[in-house]
Amino acid sequence: MTRDEFEENRRRFGDDFNAWPAPYRQQGRDFLEGRAGAAGGEDKALDRLVLEAAAAETDEQALTRKVLARIDEDRARAPFWSWAWLSPAAMAASVVAVLAAATAAGYTLGADEGSLESDLIAFAIGAPELAGDDLPGIGEEGEL
Amino acid sequence: VQRHEGEAGYDEDLLARIAAGSQPALAELIARHGRRLRIFAARFLGNHSDAEEVAQEVFIAVWKQAVRFDSEKGRATTWLYRMATNRCIDWKRRRALRSFVGLDDMDVAADEPDAEARTGARQELAVVRQGISQLPARQRMALLLRAVADLDTSAIAEAMGSSVGSAEQLLVRARRSLRDYLSGGHKEGR
Repeated sequence: MTRDEFEENRRRFGDDFNAWPAPYRQQGRDFLEGRAGAAGGEDKALDRLVLEAAAAETDEQALTRKVLARIDEDRARAPFWSWAWLSPAAMAASVVAVLAAATAAGYTLGADEGSLESDLIAFAIGAPELAGDDLPGIGEEGEL
Repeated sequence: VQRHEGEAGYDEDLLARIAAGSQPALAELIARHGRRLRIFAARFLGNHSDAEEVAQEVFIAVWKQAVRFDSEKGRATTWLYRMATNRCIDWKRRRALRSFVGLDDMDVAADEPDAEARTGARQELAVVRQGISQLPARQRMALLLRAVADLDTSAIAEAMGSSVGSAEQLLVRARRSLRDYLSGGHKEGR
């Protein structure tokens, strides 16, 4: 069946070739399947052309060498930095360590800095002796 | 049971060996897929040196993440190209950002010498390359995954993180646009 015959039959019997009279139905199916097959073949031909056009000289051995070298570099760096540091447990431990260090540093600074803003620092860190001689005590305030 | 080269599941076996720390298995995986993966990246990014970097990143990621591969969920090739497509997209964004801030003024899709399209014995293939480079990014990716990586539509959909219907549409549009370009659209554009 040619395309013209197919179109003629479509006009006569409708778009759905399954509803065509028996002798024409199979011919219509064959025509459409042939077109689909041809279209599939055209797609494959185009894909082959794309592959051929895309092809380029590549050196897999060089790629392998570079990848393995980068993996070895990562391994060499691993003692200092590891993705394990990003785990929740490691992060929590790091935060606790930083807070402990900051607190210890605060106490040390508060205890040693008698002259420079010592009252303010002591007040901030809550050291009892730094409530200070210059600040009024509760008893004194009550007497006012 | 260990499978032999050419058998279905051989790549999955290689990934299992890589997960166990076998560098020879990684080298074999690169030998099997490195070429197509690099060509895919080069044609998608339009730049061979970027494609080289992407290919290296993909295989390093394979080395680090092979333990996460689950053969129940998909084929090794699809997993490999899923990583490649993600890295290509990241790379393109990075290049666009560098270009935007002035660190990089190179056109990512422009390492194809235009003269190649007009002269030389391989003129037709050069025109095809030009046509591929001018497709919208997702159409280009779908077509390259089909033609270069040899993935079927469902694998293309999985690699691109889209539905099968969407992947089919992208392929149809890509082929139509490329045919239009090859049948004379490229001459009108000049």
